[in-house]
Amino acid sequence: MDGRDRDHRLLAGFLAGTLGHAEARRWDEHLLECEQCWRAVREDRAGRQAAGLLRQPAPLGLADRVVFAVEVARTEVPRHVGPGSQARTARPGARLRWLAGAGALAAGLAAALVVVLLPGGRVTGSVPAAVAAVARYARAIPPPARGQSPRIPRQAVPVQVGHPVTVIAGGQRIVVRTWRLGGAEAVVAESVRPFPMPAHAQAVSGAGMAWLSRLGTLGLYCHNGPTSVLVAAPVPAAELALLAARLPLA
Amino acid sequence: MGADHRAFLDATLPYLDVVYQIARHAARDGQDPEDLVQETYLRAYAGFGTYRGGNARAWLAAICLNVARSEARRRRRRPWEVPAWALLDALPSIRADGGEAVPDVADVVLADLDAAAVFQGLARLPEPQRLCIVLMDVAGYTARETAELLRCPRGTVLARVHRGRRKLAQVLAEAGVSYGRP
Repeated sequence: MDGRDRDHRLLAGFLAGTLGHAEARRWDEHLLECEQCWRAVREDRAGRQAAGLLRQPAPLGLADRVVFAVEVARTEVPRHVGPGSQARTARPGARLRWLAGAGALAAGLAAALVVVLLPGGRVTGSVPAAVAAVARYARAIPPPARGQSPRIPRQAVPVQVGHPVTVIAGGQRIVVRTWRLGGAEAVVAESVRPFPMPAHAQAVSGAGMAWLSRLGTLGLYCHNGPTSVLVAAPVPAAELALLAARLPLA
Repeated sequence: MGADHRAFLDATLPYLDVVYQIARHAARDGQDPEDLVQETYLRAYAGFGTYRGGNARAWLAAICLNVARSEARRRRRRPWEVPAWALLDALPSIRADGGEAVPDVADVVLADLDAAAVFQGLARLPEPQRLCIVLMDVAGYTARETAELLRCPRGTVLARVHRGRRKLAQVLAEAGVSYGRP
């Protein structure tokens, strides 16, 4: 450390108030005489003031997104969700421990996922993480009263409910919006990557790369155009297609 | 929600703003700060079982910085950095030899600050100084917390933040950003 570095550090300490009384007093006196150091003090203050103006609260909806992502992660096999793989950065020991228990854990969590996603308890095969995430989000929508279908007046206009939530599941970035149309609500998820088709889903003929599926009381309708759109709502599959046709999909 | 799930959110969500501040400045090369925040929380949640309490704010900041670094490595792009010497050479510097006369940066006015210009100015600082300023002046961490996060002595942090602030002020003055009246 040369003399200039040392002076820099001492001045930084003086400004942070970490110097002893005698040393601080020496700097006080020095600053009265030294224009160069006084300039440094003023620049420090100006820089700190400028940086302070960059404080910004987190955007609306980010807390929802984080809570949702954590909730999705809780129900998934403990592999990494999102950009960059935790598995890649995991220590070898941790990876071995993970592998040792992977079979039992995967079986247990897969069962939990089915229970979570399928209130009826019907096992329908594997559910891709991106689809499972959307389905989990859509579970918050109250189902229509027993035996009744939501009435959607012809003149009803779709109204967006709440803020869009962005989540990354299965390495796929998904923007989720909730729409209300008449008495029905639906979750519309969009992604630039196609939503993987669950094993039990049915391709929809004459509608390009589209599929229909069912998870418990939830109907799922996916249409793949320039972006992939997945609509989820607690309505029968036939009504879901009609509902989707009334929503402003991408 | 499970108990640990709720405990995790209770312990960490109050620091969402702080993590977001760090993510905004740590995200590079087209990284979305909100993605970085989400990733930070997911990693923190995955490691919550080993978290022994203590300073959750510092714990989250460390994870956020690690995620940003590993993501930058993954993209195989080096963060754009301006070497300190190049930056200083390009600026009107304070000359000990009494050479070229330089404008007093601190004479630049202190109102109507253009936040976008400050953001860009901050991005021009060398990484260590930028990080210290983001952690201390933007996110509100103490010098001691910052030193622990960056694993360097507290004196080094103070020196970096001091140099960084000065350079930031100089960059802004050079860019003609008005931020106050003397």
